[in-house]
Amino acid sequence: MVHFKIQDVTFAYPDTTDRPALEHINLEIRQGEYVTVCGASGSGKTTLLRLLKSVLTPHGTLSGEILFCGRPLQEADLREQSSKIGYVMQNPDSQIVTDKVWHELAFGLESLGYDQKTIRLRVAEMASYFGIEHWFYKNVSELSGGQKQLLNLASVMAMQPEVLILDEPTSQLDPIAAADFLNTVKKINRELRTTVIITEHRLEDIFYASDQVVVMEKGKIAAVDTPRAVGAFLKEGNHEMLAALPTPLLVYYGVEEQKNSAPLTVREGAEWLDTFFADRTLKVSAYEAEAPYEEDEIKDPAVEVKELYMRYEKNAPDILKGVSFRVEKGTLFAIVGGNGTGKSTLLKSICGICRPYSGKVKIFGKRMEKYCKGELFSGNLAMLPQDPLSLFVKKTVREDLEEMTTGKNKKDREDEITRIAKLCQITELLEKHPYDSSGGEQQRAALAKVLLTQPKILLLDEPTKGMDAIFKKQFADILKELNNQGITIILVSHDVEFCAKYADTVSMFFDGTILTTNTPRNFFSKNSFYTTAANRMSRHIFENAVTDGEVIELCQKNL
Amino acid sequence: MKHIFWQYHPVIHLIFYIGTVLSGMLFMHPAFLACSIIFSISCYMTVAKEKRRFLSGMLLVFLLLSVLNPVFNPSGSHVLFTYMAGRHYTLEALCYGMAMAAMFVTVLTWFASYQITMTSDKFLYCFSRLLPAVSMVLTMVLRFLPLYGRHLKKIADARKGIGKSAENGTLKERTEDGMLLVSALTSWALEGGMVTSSAMLSRGYGSGSRTSFCIYKWRGKEKCLLFAMLADIVLIVYCMIKGGAFVSYLPVLEIADLSDGYRMAGLIGYAAFLAIPTAAYVMEEIRWFILRYRM
Repeated sequence: MVHFKIQDVTFAYPDTTDRPALEHINLEIRQGEYVTVCGASGSGKTTLLRLLKSVLTPHGTLSGEILFCGRPLQEADLREQSSKIGYVMQNPDSQIVTDKVWHELAFGLESLGYDQKTIRLRVAEMASYFGIEHWFYKNVSELSGGQKQLLNLASVMAMQPEVLILDEPTSQLDPIAAADFLNTVKKINRELRTTVIITEHRLEDIFYASDQVVVMEKGKIAAVDTPRAVGAFLKEGNHEMLAALPTPLLVYYGVEEQKNSAPLTVREGAEWLDTFFADRTLKVSAYEAEAPYEEDEIKDPAVEVKELYMRYEKNAPDILKGVSFRVEKGTLFAIVGGNGTGKSTLLKSICGICRPYSGKVKIFGKRMEKYCKGELFSGNLAMLPQDPLSLFVKKTVREDLEEMTTGKNKKDREDEITRIAKLCQITELLEKHPYDSSGGEQQRAALAKVLLTQPKILLLDEPTKGMDAIFKKQFADILKELNNQGITIILVSHDVEFCAKYADTVSMFFDGTILTTNTPRNFFSKNSFYTTAANRMSRHIFENAVTDGEVIELCQKNL
Repeated sequence: MKHIFWQYHPVIHLIFYIGTVLSGMLFMHPAFLACSIIFSISCYMTVAKEKRRFLSGMLLVFLLLSVLNPVFNPSGSHVLFTYMAGRHYTLEALCYGMAMAAMFVTVLTWFASYQITMTSDKFLYCFSRLLPAVSMVLTMVLRFLPLYGRHLKKIADARKGIGKSAENGTLKERTEDGMLLVSALTSWALEGGMVTSSAMLSRGYGSGSRTSFCIYKWRGKEKCLLFAMLADIVLIVYCMIKGGAFVSYLPVLEIADLSDGYRMAGLIGYAAFLAIPTAAYVMEEIRWFILRYRM
């Protein structure tokens, strides 16, 4: 059965003079299919998904026809669409309506007017299917981001939808919670035959499971095909979305010419490497090793942290348990580690938002407390918080930036803003409301605001969360440029691939302390779980290869 | 912490609290007061974590109110002593003060345990049947107020991290900063509200008449308990109608003894009613003691 048939759909938002948001879309989605929609930010993915549910359809002019189960979508009333088409959005917090987990699960069923007995059974079913029995009675405010998003999914599934639409559901989650969430979606698709239509930045976890991949570009569909065929298509056109593909595919395309048997997962990638080297002799088997990292050799650190202890309340457990490290000037220092281990607290302690009860923080060799009021933040230190939205307090991005300028006359201030806007590539956003831009754009606008304090040390909390692969690359370039200007960057992240590619030093944070600090190559090639996909697929053949580029290079040396 | 009684159906809890607080305010008879003070405190003891501070505070309130009442009210026939050029300090006024203080303390103690045991969802459940729309709004208020509070802290922290906090600034600076925070929070809340309303619509809100789901179920035992409670209430009301609540402290003490049948019945009903949570707690302890002993 065909669930959705989209016939020549064109959609334009009101009051826009430029191209329509969607142009001549034709797509057929069969029952039980897993469809991944990918494309750069602003390519019309969200608009397309929202058209598939009448109550969420934005205002604008729509031409063409959308058929749901063979009849026009509008003919299905609110009640039918509510129960048959489930929709999960990006922000975990704003989607939750009630204050208790059990009540949230029942919300949709209450709206549809089911009786007690039915609701009780369905809620119980959902709670056990999603493994949420042990937090069933909790307040939603006590849940982690991953649990909240799982709750959103479960409360949609309680209505037993036939189609599940997910709009970047994991962009606010850390990689482990995200992988968990996507696995649950896969399980639903496999076990219940629920049709899944999903947009995602992190293709690693869903690309291989998809039946159809739709590539969107500037409001049009550039390609619809199986994952391998789409991969080949992107490679052929050297498409900008190429960077978003899973690592095994990228390595494969960097080495092989043949396109139809490309590996999609780490396991397939490793197997392909085996067959690739089965009839070749291995001439070069290791990437050049780096000198081990010696923290003691840093003579004049930008930031020095000594034996830092911190807890939020007198009777609460310690969050930081004796953290010590030094950061060299002008480098990118990355701290990786699991959720809730205290990484954000560490950053907050370095810039004085939290007060540690014991230990020292030295900024350029001087105790933090010795800096007089305001001195620390004017030209020394600045922090970019995890949620970029919390930095915006004005109506336009320009006004927000103006708040930070220090120049004497108007001309100076404008020059300053123009320079920073150019550096962060947000010139065209300046007159917009900060909330009207995409996640990646907001992140860069927030960075611009922070940079206007002209810090010598920049603290970043999860900056790559919710960024697509293209933005990530640009973001990394900006950070490199800042490093070149002599700015020291300390970055807290879950994004292993990002840290492996761009950091100068990587630290592992666990249980309130820093366990080990090393250069990215030494760090990741020694780990076997907490490492990059490129390393995992190639570690049985190559030593020290951490990024996809390095694996490709080694393969080519052996050709 | 929450023993068996508090796992019962919320309607039982609501009836219990309405009954205790109302009758606690009506009965001034010393025997009734003694009952209510003993059981309110024992009920509080079984649910509260921090007991000592509250109870010592209540004792202080009790003593102060009792001792001070005769100072403001000199009427009464038995003069204990005179002070300040002949002003009387009478036994009747002291007794009246004690009775008032006991009533005040019990009502406060009932409210203290109410605070601990009646969580928002129980309260909402009791009213969702009567006022479904209002209870939905209340649920959302309970959800979103704390959320806004947390986001406000986030914005303040973010501004601290770029040196824009006005924490140590002048009054004018702090006011301006506060306004800025509130306006930022408002935009954020409106933005979030759009998502929330989409999420509600997409789950069929407004597609027809709503039902209201509850996780509580009437068990056989609870029905019996409810019946017993109603019987107690009948006894209490009967006693009140017959004038059992009448007692006079001023100007002369007029306290009827318990020989009247209706007053005795009322007292028994009253004690049985108030003792329910305490009794449930004690019985549960005993049951566990025996079970453990047998193992």
